[in-house]
Amino acid sequence: MEFGPGFWGPIVATIVMLLGAGFACLMLLGSRKISKVRPSIAKRSTYGCGEEVKPEEVIADSEQFYSPIRRVFKPFYRYIQPGHSGKLNTYLLWVVIGFIAILVAIALVLR
Amino acid sequence: MIEIPPIIAIVLPLFGAFLTPIIATISRRYDAERKVCGWFTVAITIAMLLTVASMGARIWGGEVIVYRLGGWSPPWGIVLAVDGLNLLIALIVAGVSSLVAIYSLVYMRRDTRIDLYCALLLLVTAGAMGITLTGDLFNLYVFFEIMSISSYALVAFRRKWDSVEAGIKYMIIGSLGTSLILLGIALLYGMVGSLTIADLAQKLGQIAPSDVVVPLALLVTGFGIKIAMIPLHAWAPDAYQAAPSSISALLAGATTTAGLYAMIRVVYMMFGAFGVGTIFAIFGLVTMVLGALMALTQRDLKRLLAYSSISQMGYILLGVGFGTALGFQGSLFHLLNNAIFKALLFMCAGAILYRVGTTNLDELGGLGKNMPITAGLFAIGALAISGVPPLNGFASKWTIYIAGIEAGKAVFSLIAIIMSVLTLAYFLKAINSIFLGQRPKRLQNVEEAPLTMLFPMMLLAVLCIVLGVLPSLGIDLVAPAQGAIMNQSGYIHAVLGGI
Repeated sequence: MEFGPGFWGPIVATIVMLLGAGFACLMLLGSRKISKVRPSIAKRSTYGCGEEVKPEEVIADSEQFYSPIRRVFKPFYRYIQPGHSGKLNTYLLWVVIGFIAILVAIALVLR
Repeated sequence: MIEIPPIIAIVLPLFGAFLTPIIATISRRYDAERKVCGWFTVAITIAMLLTVASMGARIWGGEVIVYRLGGWSPPWGIVLAVDGLNLLIALIVAGVSSLVAIYSLVYMRRDTRIDLYCALLLLVTAGAMGITLTGDLFNLYVFFEIMSISSYALVAFRRKWDSVEAGIKYMIIGSLGTSLILLGIALLYGMVGSLTIADLAQKLGQIAPSDVVVPLALLVTGFGIKIAMIPLHAWAPDAYQAAPSSISALLAGATTTAGLYAMIRVVYMMFGAFGVGTIFAIFGLVTMVLGALMALTQRDLKRLLAYSSISQMGYILLGVGFGTALGFQGSLFHLLNNAIFKALLFMCAGAILYRVGTTNLDELGGLGKNMPITAGLFAIGALAISGVPPLNGFASKWTIYIAGIEAGKAVFSLIAIIMSVLTLAYFLKAINSIFLGQRPKRLQNVEEAPLTMLFPMMLLAVLCIVLGVLPSLGIDLVAPAQGAIMNQSGYIHAVLGGI
């Protein structure tokens, strides 16, 4: 595997990325100086269904962080996640299933 | 030529483990037990790393170092044999163990029975090193047991209900795995009448492939449990979460690496079963996908990292499964990188746990202001594992993708790329939940992790950057290992010496 110019030049790419990041920082700082409109207090406050919520009281539920992705993979989460129940019996059953799957697969390949 | 470095590399941590309680008893009189035991462990692991490194020049020059125990020649005596593959894995095991030992100096400061911890840490290291360097199959099983039993005790070390439960689960599933390995070895011995890996490789070539199906399946399942290949992974999330973070780093960085080495050595170099590669590729794909999807929904950082470890092992299996030179190269490079960034991430989790007392993502937030160095190091590890250029994960994952395309399995590569995006997604969630956003009031006065803990983390982060910016360094490091896998006859000839 070659990691040189033409395929993937990591040093050149790193320099370009760092320059890009620096340029983005400069643009951000510049825009803050140029922009005169500041967000109002109402925009800065946390929306909590009409209730006043202090920023330090806001807790985002990490399990729901990617709920749309969870919806896409709903069948997976419905059947596979309950299998991770912590019950040792289930885990041992998985090992047995795994062994049988490996045995059958190897038998098919090496027959 | 001096052939003793392999035996020294095993004996050092093994005897160090037995010496630790004696040293602890003596130093307890001077109220210096904690410091003396900790530094003794650091000294032993660094001496082991230097011993392994001392073999580098000869091995990379194409030599295979063979040490005959008691002067007995194989196949009657036990041999230690070191080729390019052994050396790479031994360097990973010794390197991660040394950094974990340094990290533990401060991380385990609040725990009691530090002598027991240090002795068990050295035993795990000795077991992993023994697996890596031995040329005898039964010897490999014995070292596997040494490593596994010490790991069970370390997972349950803090004796809280969850760690004891995780330790017992790990012990039962792990013991089932080692029993399957023993059964596989017994069947092979019954068939061939030898236990030397090189001799077995020679003799198994004369047996019909259909006759070795059961022992091969037993061995693959046994090693599969150790590397947490789905569906044999169930012990891993509980064990990684409940163990002290230093031990999670060791399990993810060193012991799974040794397990994968055993799998490659046995399947490819002993059985010569390159046809089994497709099975590895499929199991690797399933492991990668399920690990990533499970990681996405976790609330606890260490549990998230555990599923991430499972997912990364999928990438490694995938590359191994392609069965091509480039596939092995990519896999071995990713194995090296995985040990680096996974140890780094678990150490970061340990730093958070040490300062805050929890790794529950819902109870954390805004820690980037309090722990900026840890935040930076975690971000480097997270971006590296997600395969973001110019970090090391990109180079190794890219090699695996290309290997898949060249092997005519472009769909596998495509799924692997999608899983990399998911990896980035769940790590961005972790970064956001821990270091960004609002900081709860009770975390206002949290301090940065101590320097002794930060030092090994910084070293690992530097490696993530260096191996990403200069990937040819990593490729050069793994090339002799890949060459060794493809050159089975060279290993057999070196060990048996023309028998």
